[in-house]
Amino acid sequence: MRVPVLLLLAMALCAPAFAQIDFSGEWAPRFYEDQPERVPGPELGDYLGLPINDAARMRADTWSASIQTLPEWQCRPHSADYIWRGPSALRISKEVDPVTRQITAFHAEWLRSVDRTVYLDGRTHPEEYAAHSWSGFSTGKWDGDMLTVTVTHLKEGYVRRNGVPRSDLATLTEHWIRHGNWLTVVEIINDPVYLTEPFVRTTDYELDLHQQIPPYPCGIVEEVDRPEGIVPHFLPGTNTSLSEFPAHHDLPAEAAKGGAETMYPKYQSKLRQK
Amino acid sequence: MNRKAIIAAGIALSFAVSGPIEAQRGRGGQGGAPVTAKAAAPVDLTGYWVSVVTEDWRYRMVTPKKGDYPSIPLNAEGRKLADAWDPARDEASGDQCKSFGAGNIMRVPGNVHVIWEDDNTLRVDTDAGTQTRLFRFTGSPVTSTAPGWQGNSAAQWEIAGGGRGGRGNAQQGGGDLKVVTAGMRAGYLQKNGVPYSANAVVTEYFHRTMESNGDSWLIVTTMIEDPQYLNQQFQRSTHFKRLPDGSTWSPTPCTAR
Repeated sequence: MRVPVLLLLAMALCAPAFAQIDFSGEWAPRFYEDQPERVPGPELGDYLGLPINDAARMRADTWSASIQTLPEWQCRPHSADYIWRGPSALRISKEVDPVTRQITAFHAEWLRSVDRTVYLDGRTHPEEYAAHSWSGFSTGKWDGDMLTVTVTHLKEGYVRRNGVPRSDLATLTEHWIRHGNWLTVVEIINDPVYLTEPFVRTTDYELDLHQQIPPYPCGIVEEVDRPEGIVPHFLPGTNTSLSEFPAHHDLPAEAAKGGAETMYPKYQSKLRQK
Repeated sequence: MNRKAIIAAGIALSFAVSGPIEAQRGRGGQGGAPVTAKAAAPVDLTGYWVSVVTEDWRYRMVTPKKGDYPSIPLNAEGRKLADAWDPARDEASGDQCKSFGAGNIMRVPGNVHVIWEDDNTLRVDTDAGTQTRLFRFTGSPVTSTAPGWQGNSAAQWEIAGGGRGGRGNAQQGGGDLKVVTAGMRAGYLQKNGVPYSANAVVTEYFHRTMESNGDSWLIVTTMIEDPQYLNQQFQRSTHFKRLPDGSTWSPTPCTAR
């Protein structure tokens, strides 16, 4: 008799404070925002609306897309922060404790990504010196029906896939919100190395019951015949293509360089003066 | 659908989504005097907020060129209209506010002020275009008969944990605001003449986050259904940072260009 009573007591104590929203399912990205940046890809020198500092701008200005052809880069997945914006289907599955029946973790998996686990079992983040990975280390907690996720231990990545960097000291906060068949994810990136303010963006997915994420085996091939040890890049001030983006869209060159100022409505008055 | 039918549909919609306040409280309702929307609020959305434009910058901070609308699922009729956009014609007809209507106003860069108009009406002012939206929780029919840029908005709290019969309540788990807007004048989803019709219905969810560094963000998810010009439901999410006060409030009139 004692065991069932204890079991019931344990289950009662483990009951969640609030209902848990189920985020599991097949989610299709919808490119109703930033389609040019997310599908064909951003143009060189487009840093509009990014709160970056000079160091980030220098890294981006000297970046060469050809770096993706290096064997070391060919199978590199998007990091946990960028992958939400990538042109890729998403599958979220859940882990359920067999006794308490509480959700103990979500797993997020995209076409070109590694399995990303969000732990909901109250565990703590690893020590500072623990290994960093593309998916980082994620824990979640419920804010009502919203799931708030904290991500640490990320490898260096990018906030825009035209070379704008995000450091491995950055942390990411996410808020997962579901309304019926729609999933909205708010991302807030804090990066003491390359950002002067938190970088926030929101991304939407729609439930798609017919979606299947196919295998994505990645093989490495010799894409470009180049001497060993060469890393594609531009020296500062030598990439003449950077000026094409603002010219093509009739934008001031200064605006295209980004910075926190360009995120705020007040910047429109500056644009009108140019 | 004629104008009267549209207004009637809007009113019906208001009734449909706005149940009595008491019914929105889940198990929190204890009977007695009706609880006002203001008192029942599971989240405080009031205050000054500023849009932080990190998405669609080229389509929001400046006016894009005619025909530049890759993110919007227009059908053939919608594309035809967008490709014929003429801001001079809008100015001549006094329609400079077409991109400041409820279908797009939350995408327009600017400051937003959220206040209680009365116990059952939440008011949203924007300094860009000096627009006012009224979110009515009362469930009673709107009295306005002429469609305006902001249409008629019926509001409802969504209580975390399943407020409509679920286990949550306002004090415990927070929640969000759902707003359904219909009866709008035809307007633009983007400043360069990307259209939505007077038959469009806008559904919005307003969430608030609290960050560990003291920041707070207003997250507005907007879904637009417009069979006349869109070939599928269109959704965007927009974020606003909370401001300490209204010192940056800067009213500007609507512009067509």
